[in-house]
Amino acid sequence: MRRYKTSYPISWRFMDVLEAAFALVLPRGGGRLTPYLLLTPAVLLVGTLAVGLLYIGDSSLRVLDRSTFLFSDYWTLENYQRAFSESFTATIIWRSLVGAVIVTAVTLLLAFPYAYVMVRTSSALLRKFLLVALFLPFFIGQVVRAYGWLIILGNQGIVNDALALVGVEPLRLLFNYPAVLFGLVQYMLPFGVLMLAPALTAIPEDIEAAATSLGANWVRALFHVVLPMARPGLIGAGVVVLTLSLTDFAMPAILGGGSQDFVANAIYDQFFRTSDQGFGASLTLILIAVGSMTVGLIFAVFGAGTLALGANRK
Amino acid sequence: MTEIQAAAVSAINVEMTFGTFKAVKDASFELQNGKFLTILGPSGSGKTTLLRLIAGFLTPSSGEILINGRSVRAVAANKRSIGMVFQKLALFPHMTAAENVAFPLKMRRFDARTIPDRVAQYLKLVRLDGFENRRIHELSGGQQQRVAIARALVFEPDLLLLDEPLAALDRKLREEMQLEFRRIQKELGVTTINVTHDQREALVVSDQVIVMNDGEIQQNAAPTQMYRMPSNPFVANFIGVTNDLSGILTRVTSADATARFGNVELMGVHGGAVALEDGTPIKGAIRAEQIRIASAEQSMAGLDADFRGTVLDAIFEGERHVYEVEVPELGGESLKIIHHDRNDQSALEPGALVHIGWKNRDLQIFPAKQ
Ligand SMILES: Nc1ncnc2c1ncn2[C@@H]1O[C@H](COP(=O)(O)OP(=O)(O)O)[C@@H](O)[C@H]1O
Ligand SMILES: [Mg+2]
Repeated sequence: MRRYKTSYPISWRFMDVLEAAFALVLPRGGGRLTPYLLLTPAVLLVGTLAVGLLYIGDSSLRVLDRSTFLFSDYWTLENYQRAFSESFTATIIWRSLVGAVIVTAVTLLLAFPYAYVMVRTSSALLRKFLLVALFLPFFIGQVVRAYGWLIILGNQGIVNDALALVGVEPLRLLFNYPAVLFGLVQYMLPFGVLMLAPALTAIPEDIEAAATSLGANWVRALFHVVLPMARPGLIGAGVVVLTLSLTDFAMPAILGGGSQDFVANAIYDQFFRTSDQGFGASLTLILIAVGSMTVGLIFAVFGAGTLALGANRK
Repeated sequence: MTEIQAAAVSAINVEMTFGTFKAVKDASFELQNGKFLTILGPSGSGKTTLLRLIAGFLTPSSGEILINGRSVRAVAANKRSIGMVFQKLALFPHMTAAENVAFPLKMRRFDARTIPDRVAQYLKLVRLDGFENRRIHELSGGQQQRVAIARALVFEPDLLLLDEPLAALDRKLREEMQLEFRRIQKELGVTTINVTHDQREALVVSDQVIVMNDGEIQQNAAPTQMYRMPSNPFVANFIGVTNDLSGILTRVTSADATARFGNVELMGVHGGAVALEDGTPIKGAIRAEQIRIASAEQSMAGLDADFRGTVLDAIFEGERHVYEVEVPELGGESLKIIHHDRNDQSALEPGALVHIGWKNRDLQIFPAKQ
């Protein structure tokens, strides 16, 4: 009789071993509490974060005495008053928020066609190429990539060298707002594509064929059918890119050269340069509030998209 | 007016190759305006591929498909006058039933003032008035089916293509929808091509049936002719329940043929399409419902062939009985017999002695190999 290799896959043998181990630890399947038991490590991790947040909340209410370098032993709102009265705070929050919105918009605009071609192409080779190109930056890391841009865009960088060859004066391509946004978009693009691809895969190809056969050209098929159906993915990708950009540290620090600080850079300065933990903590909480409100606003206007999960994801 | 009417659809030697695999082989057929054609075949026989070629979603590797005398591919995909109902419906989930039906009108730039009336008219045609504001996922399978049909018809296409849209429905609903298709098609007179693997559906709804197997057209005929005169054993077996008998040809005329099966010589009919020679192996095919059966004591009049046999198995299917009967004279072959018990006689039990018979014109004779 012919024996099929595939009728008992190797992965099943691994699972047999896992099941045996599981039965050893939890005989009789462990009962009803097992799911909660498995949840504990994650809950502990998040819990630690929450405790940390409480400490930050506490610090934010204590003001630094600059003569003794001690924090007050009473609670006060002085740090917040200072944050809201100094134009510096408004500047960095505004810069971070506007930057995050622009980066999100540009990233989605670039990620959508990338994800679309990756999902829809009939060429396996092109799909592989796009996937590899997508993951390569992940292996390099954010800081190294930012330094890469320094080399390319610097005053003695590759771009300026090339411009010099055709007789153009060196351009100041770094340490300005566009440079930071450029770096952020480049950093966020893979996240955007990875969040969009499953949403596009979920749209059956026949849907697009149907739209065409019903009379839609590609532009109208895109706006009437594909984009509305990809909305959950667009929202999910948008929220992830927005929050990551809003709180980013490395790109403003390296490509902004200290002149284009985002909130995270200001917080870093307070904690590790001026050692004013109290003021740093208040900035942290303000950042969390701004981020939460922005995301809340998106959810309220557009729905929660893929991040809603579960049943009412429509 | 003596203008020659081009066939609504004509396929001319159409072939479709995926890599090295031929999914459609040398397919040619014509369909006249206003007719209902069903492409029937087992799963994987190339039905969807042929339909997609007709829709213009695929380009034939060779050959040509003409719609009203013009090549499909000569017209841009979104300008073709073809309504298509997809196997998985492909309704737009983010729109209501009415919006789905209005979509092709909007895309084809119909006057916005006329759209609501027309949508209402077509929702009524498919008996969905009152459901216009439901989202797609709030409709049952049969209702979604109807939305898909209304959406494909509302812009009054020259041609309607249906890709097994009923396959997912339960039997009762499917049979209801088959009649519904027929009614709507008659009412609008739209030329229609339907794809199915359900032989009953093909016979019920169509003016013309094409049977496909392995990418090849086996027969192209009207349903009654397809049933009475299958052109080869594949078609005979695919439509209805058919008994196969192996024999040797002994005599052949233009109208009939005689062949030896086991110990007996039997006369039957042949399509005449293939030249038959005496002494060649042949296949006889006789439909289960064309064999009469009675208990050994009863007599049956008006039959050309009459044998004794023993009931091996009896299955009660409600309105009919299905028997398996061993017939020693036919070399011990057993035959399936479908018996509609009109007089509510008591059923025959396994082991019962019976006699069975048929008319010569019901035995089809085909060359064993083609
Ligand atoms: N795009 C394709 N690439 C390769 N093979 C295909 C493709 N489409 C269909 N086929 C093959 O062609 C054959 C006929 O397919 P199809 O027309 O879908 O059959 P049916 O609709 O009759 O079930 C199948 O064997 C299928 O695997
Ligand atoms: Mg199919």
